[in-house]
Amino acid sequence: MTLLRMEEITKVFPGVRANDGISFDLRAGEIHALVGENGAGKTTLMKILYGLYKPDSGNIYLKDRPIAIKNPRDAINQGIGMVHQHFMLVPVFSVLENIILGRETHTAGVLQLQKPTEEIRSIMQANGLMVDLNARVEDIPVGLQQRVEILKILYRGAEILVFDEPTAVLTPQEVDELFKTFRMMRDQGKGIIFISHKLDEVLDIADRITVIRRGRVIRTLERSEATKPLIAELMVGKPVLLKVDKEPPSPKQVILEVKNLTVLSVHDQPVLDNISLTVRAGEIYGIAGVEGNGQTELIQAIAYKTKPESGTVLLEGQSILNWDVRTRRERGIGHIPEDRHRYGLLLPFSLADNIVLGRHHLGPFVKGPQWIDSTKVRSYARETIAAYDVRTPSEMTPAHALSGGNQQKAIIAREMNFEPKVLVAAQPTRGVDIGATEFVYKQLILARDRGKAVLLISADLDEILSLSDRIGVIFKGAIIHEFKQEEATKEKVGLYMTGERESA
Amino acid sequence: MRKIKIDKYHLYELFSPLLGVVAAIIVLLLIGIAVGESPGSILKAIHRFTMSTSGRLATVFSVAIPLFLSGLAVSIAFQAGVFNIGVEGQYFIGGLVGALAGIYLPLPRVIHIPVVVICAMLGGALWAAIPAALKIGKGVHEVITTIMFNNIALALVNYLVNGPLSGRGEESLEAQTFHIRDTAVFGKLNHWFRALGWNIPNHVFMDYSLIIAIIMGILVWILLFRLRYGFEIRAVGTSIDVSEYAGIRVKRIQLAAFLLSGALAGLIGLQEIFAIRGFYTYEIAPGLGFDGIAIALIGRNSPLGVVFASILFAFLRQAGYGLQLYTSVPLAITFVISGVMILFIVVINEVVTRYIRAQRKKEAA
Repeated sequence: MTLLRMEEITKVFPGVRANDGISFDLRAGEIHALVGENGAGKTTLMKILYGLYKPDSGNIYLKDRPIAIKNPRDAINQGIGMVHQHFMLVPVFSVLENIILGRETHTAGVLQLQKPTEEIRSIMQANGLMVDLNARVEDIPVGLQQRVEILKILYRGAEILVFDEPTAVLTPQEVDELFKTFRMMRDQGKGIIFISHKLDEVLDIADRITVIRRGRVIRTLERSEATKPLIAELMVGKPVLLKVDKEPPSPKQVILEVKNLTVLSVHDQPVLDNISLTVRAGEIYGIAGVEGNGQTELIQAIAYKTKPESGTVLLEGQSILNWDVRTRRERGIGHIPEDRHRYGLLLPFSLADNIVLGRHHLGPFVKGPQWIDSTKVRSYARETIAAYDVRTPSEMTPAHALSGGNQQKAIIAREMNFEPKVLVAAQPTRGVDIGATEFVYKQLILARDRGKAVLLISADLDEILSLSDRIGVIFKGAIIHEFKQEEATKEKVGLYMTGERESA
Repeated sequence: MRKIKIDKYHLYELFSPLLGVVAAIIVLLLIGIAVGESPGSILKAIHRFTMSTSGRLATVFSVAIPLFLSGLAVSIAFQAGVFNIGVEGQYFIGGLVGALAGIYLPLPRVIHIPVVVICAMLGGALWAAIPAALKIGKGVHEVITTIMFNNIALALVNYLVNGPLSGRGEESLEAQTFHIRDTAVFGKLNHWFRALGWNIPNHVFMDYSLIIAIIMGILVWILLFRLRYGFEIRAVGTSIDVSEYAGIRVKRIQLAAFLLSGALAGLIGLQEIFAIRGFYTYEIAPGLGFDGIAIALIGRNSPLGVVFASILFAFLRQAGYGLQLYTSVPLAITFVISGVMILFIVVINEVVTRYIRAQRKKEAA
């Protein structure tokens, strides 16, 4: 049975046809993946479905009945729910309160919790979404917060569930759990639309796959006919090499050294536990590990001033513990931040300002002690934008006007173009489309070949395995094993990541 | 030749406050009708008191001077993400320190005026220094501390002019200091304007504080939009996370902006003390510091915006007096209208900003 049909949907923004006659359908009991590069039109299409945008033309049918969706409330009432990339939860509310928020049942103004609790428990049971209803949302990990989001829309009776890159924030285990839930919901006859950049996941879970490019549906594939290279080719319109080409490394002197570093959390638990590693000029050192094993703290200790319990961090043999961020940057530590949304860009500022940010206080951008040379800033920004292919109307466009993918490209371009000695690249391709991912890989290898020490932290094991010259597995705040690239396989590294094999 | 391109969005931004003014005037006329005044008589009263003569018009600008300095002081702190609600107290203290320099320092005229200006700025900065230090050092929220410091400043000044610094025996019954020395009194600039063809009558105070305001406005603009520190101030005000990531010394920048805000606040009372009264009293124009918050808001924290917003405020104030004098609209209603107007401007500003943001996003998509 066709649950949902979107027919000939067109949405034009000035200068771009975001959706150009897209037709898309979803069957009951199906997981339908929507893939495409950043800016291909997936999000626009879903925003139309969820009532956030009005299509210029085209129709939406729910079980063959034409419907009009004017706003998200309409969508929810029609049984369409959406789990956004950024969660919409009240951090200080309990899980239960978050789920019932907006759908509270009450008797004469007194909140009734008993009935909803029972109802939610049965939903949890049926979909494998166990969460402690009394926990405060801010206290539970991201994976559980996502469950709360799913519970929220199931509680509202959703038949159609849209997931916008739900796995971007999850650990591999959490992804498995999520996919279990997907399958349970599918078996109940619900329809699931799954937006993702990760082709492995798409192939793992989807029943059908629709590829969108430049606002048009290129093809809808049955699972049986879909392969990774085929999808990749359809997405970008030309065959992309997902295999990374690189020369053997020629590592030189040690640039970055982390020595017996122990850092305590606010609860006095060691988050980095006597960790040691070295990164040489001309090599990529990859950190593999399940998220939450100290990666963030390791990045912090290198890029920010942190007070360790013991141990030290050395740059070319010099302790950097007392350097503030500015000194670190000036002495050659570049950093692509993990959470680019929050740390990466001054959104109201021009792209040019953002491209020099971090070096904005140095020549040639400043004449004399203070005067900003805006001509130099702009010409430098133009060169950087061109060299790294950031798509923007001009360098003076405010950063918030750029698409997500281009914002990320701008950050990566900035950090690369400063020519740091050490580049700490945290999740450099998270949320980036295939074309841009390929680009980032090339840039990281280029940085290595130009003699930089690259520390790569990524939740994507394929990325770590294909890029890194050496791989350190981080587990509970320590590097428990190091591999050379040639000896590392997904299975071997995986065993250490889960802590099943411990050595050092 | 480079083509000069006027961004249409900048024009939208510029004109959006005017929409607010128009909307508020409509509300005013409706209220006027309700109390039995014709729209004609209301508009005539406003016109009569704000621009019927060159003196009336000049008064609007004269009144705008301290409002501008106040808006400027608040805005520089806002730019760095610091909510300096203490401009009120800072200008009372700054004004007092300046006045003491004007009363007790025997100096030749050429340096006396610069000295009192600097003393007033130091006084304002000093009064901002403690809340600033508490914020930067201990994380105490500046809104709480500056409000408290406003109260302390008023009480302190009240005590001082009634006690140790009282200039009793002079002609006024008001609690006040001795008179400012002649060498520190702010002269008038009315004859300059006369030379330019604008005949400003002698009773209107177009004095040195205008020069101070213009200089400060230009300096703050240069700081914010041409200098590295200004870039960092704006960056910190936009996102502390991004600023820290980029190596900006956030605390230092906020401290500097806070002190600078206090220093500018110290200048607000100078016109009243050094040009209009010639002595210091704790009754110098209270409330200017709070007007500055609304002015900074309407002026979007930019020096140019603050120019327009302060003139608008001065116009409103004068229009209110006009209504009180020439119509049966009570003065209280004119305050209501000011409030309504600010509300309209803020709302329309926000709508226009969102519209522009959405349009830009579409253009870049």
